[in-house]
Amino acid sequence: MKEKISISQVAYKNLLRKKTRSALTILGIGLSAWVLASLLGFNRGYESALSKDIDNMGFQVLVTAKGCPYEAATLMLKGGTGLRYMNESVIADILKHKEVEKVTPMLMQAVFDPNKGESGGISAYLGVDPATYPEMKTFLKFKQGGWFKDASAHEAVLGYEAAELEQREVGDKILVPEKNIEYTVVGIMTRSGTQDDGTIFVPIGTLQKDFGQEGKVTAVGIKVDKKANMTELENKLYDLPDVQVVSMAQVKNTIMSLVSTAKVMVFSIALIAILIAMIGVINTILMSVFERFQEIGIIKSMGAMPKDVFQMIWTETVILCLLGGVLGIGLSFGLAKITDLLIRRLLPYTPTGSLIVVNTQLSLLTLAAVLVIGLVSGIYPAWRASRVRPLESIRSEGD
Amino acid sequence: MAANDYALEAQHLKKIYRRGSEEILAIDDVSLSVRKGEFVAFVGPSGSGKTTLINLLGCLDNATTGSLRIGARTVFSAERCLSESELTRIRRQVFGYIFQKFYLVPTLTVLENVLLPFAFFRKPEATGDPMEILKFLGIDNRIHHRPAEISGGEMQRVAIARALVNKPEILLADEPTGNLDTKRSEEIGAILKSLNEKEGLTVLLVTHNPGLAKVAHRTVTLRDGKIV
Repeated sequence: MKEKISISQVAYKNLLRKKTRSALTILGIGLSAWVLASLLGFNRGYESALSKDIDNMGFQVLVTAKGCPYEAATLMLKGGTGLRYMNESVIADILKHKEVEKVTPMLMQAVFDPNKGESGGISAYLGVDPATYPEMKTFLKFKQGGWFKDASAHEAVLGYEAAELEQREVGDKILVPEKNIEYTVVGIMTRSGTQDDGTIFVPIGTLQKDFGQEGKVTAVGIKVDKKANMTELENKLYDLPDVQVVSMAQVKNTIMSLVSTAKVMVFSIALIAILIAMIGVINTILMSVFERFQEIGIIKSMGAMPKDVFQMIWTETVILCLLGGVLGIGLSFGLAKITDLLIRRLLPYTPTGSLIVVNTQLSLLTLAAVLVIGLVSGIYPAWRASRVRPLESIRSEGD
Repeated sequence: MAANDYALEAQHLKKIYRRGSEEILAIDDVSLSVRKGEFVAFVGPSGSGKTTLINLLGCLDNATTGSLRIGARTVFSAERCLSESELTRIRRQVFGYIFQKFYLVPTLTVLENVLLPFAFFRKPEATGDPMEILKFLGIDNRIHHRPAEISGGEMQRVAIARALVNKPEILLADEPTGNLDTKRSEEIGAILKSLNEKEGLTVLLVTHNPGLAKVAHRTVTLRDGKIV
């Protein structure tokens, strides 16, 4: 015959008295834990997804002419204007540095296409070197066809979205408005989630000739030797005349600082959710203490010391919080995809990878945080309960 | 009679409650001795101070003045007033309590309710099988039921079992039959008498029920906080 009962067992069974109330409290804690785990997961996931995206650019440093937009989106915003050029000779200057492993020249051009969208739009063409560019961007995959082989061929490779927009397939022609030049589509890429999706790639020699920019480039992508000191190289490159050096690490920092505003917002929401959950826990346990005022008094008349009662009530809080924490972690795993979608709608820029990475370490961290919240929330109700005097409960029986 | 033959000795107990500027004299100079193994019933009209007195005797409260000895130990006197923790230590060593309301934990089974004091403290001499107590009280067949599934009389028996499980020296019963019908009241009276006679337990009983008071060896009548 079982002849033992522990304070933890009593605490657990106390929670079963008002099942709905306990369940709602657990749900409240669970939702807070979900927000917390998702937020911590987002913190980690966003940075790693961004790093992955930047790695996928194939180069770590981009050299452009001073003031030249270096990404298609900026070019579009500027209405296709503002391009600055460097002489191709800059490539040789860059290659002199021992830190440089590979380079690839690029020429960006923009043309107003009256047939694009409802009132026309800018089409971006990126001239790339078929000998070096594909080698640096090995992760780019083709839905149809492949890269052009000849640097002076009148051929084009379309990014996934560009092909969708232009309604082109391999073998079709694509007309460059204003220039009246046609390129044959030789490849269509799969979706990469990067700006490459909206780009029309043309051999750099062809683009230079067709747009009258022979010997000119707008950017040079540099793959840096893994052992090299990036900052040192950047400083050396700044010695070149009229260039700007864009380090992808800088780009990452810029984006991360932009995202930090959104993070502050989400952190605030999480903090409020946690505070609400804490108040909910305090309220639940305090109500339960007040309801059991006499019973607690009787327990003390049985010989329970204030610390025993404190432990019993504190354990009840901890059980609620642990169950809520486990629920929240479950939700963060189960709803990671939905949370991902919500965050994507909230943020102006999001990288392609998974934004929320919840793992065991993060789950344990969340559980520990929820446990601390529980321990803190439980102090006041447990203290109140421990101060109940048996006499107070017995006196109410009347005499 | 030798001093150690007494379960408790109270001298000139006085208890004054303050309500704002008003002073209420709940117990007025009560002196009382209870022998070991004695069964004493406290009777009197409502407000006469029965419960207040039994609370002082049961170490649930400190007296305003006077002294109390439990066995060979002085619990409180004019020089010494005990803290709540000190009172708790005496309570867990000496007393078992039964109240009008049963105060069983509704989510625990009968057996778990009986074992509840062990969650906080177990006297070294409490080595017996709690099942024997339950059997003695005739509720050993209800051990897996919850309080809501048993009758009022059975609930009070569970409360008695809970009070006995830690082998108290003195059993304090404050209106234990107040919520029960006549038949159940008689049953509880018989149980208390049996515990006193067979187990030698000292019993202090507060009751409005004259029939129940008759079970005791001695009846103490209170009026306006005094023994009359």
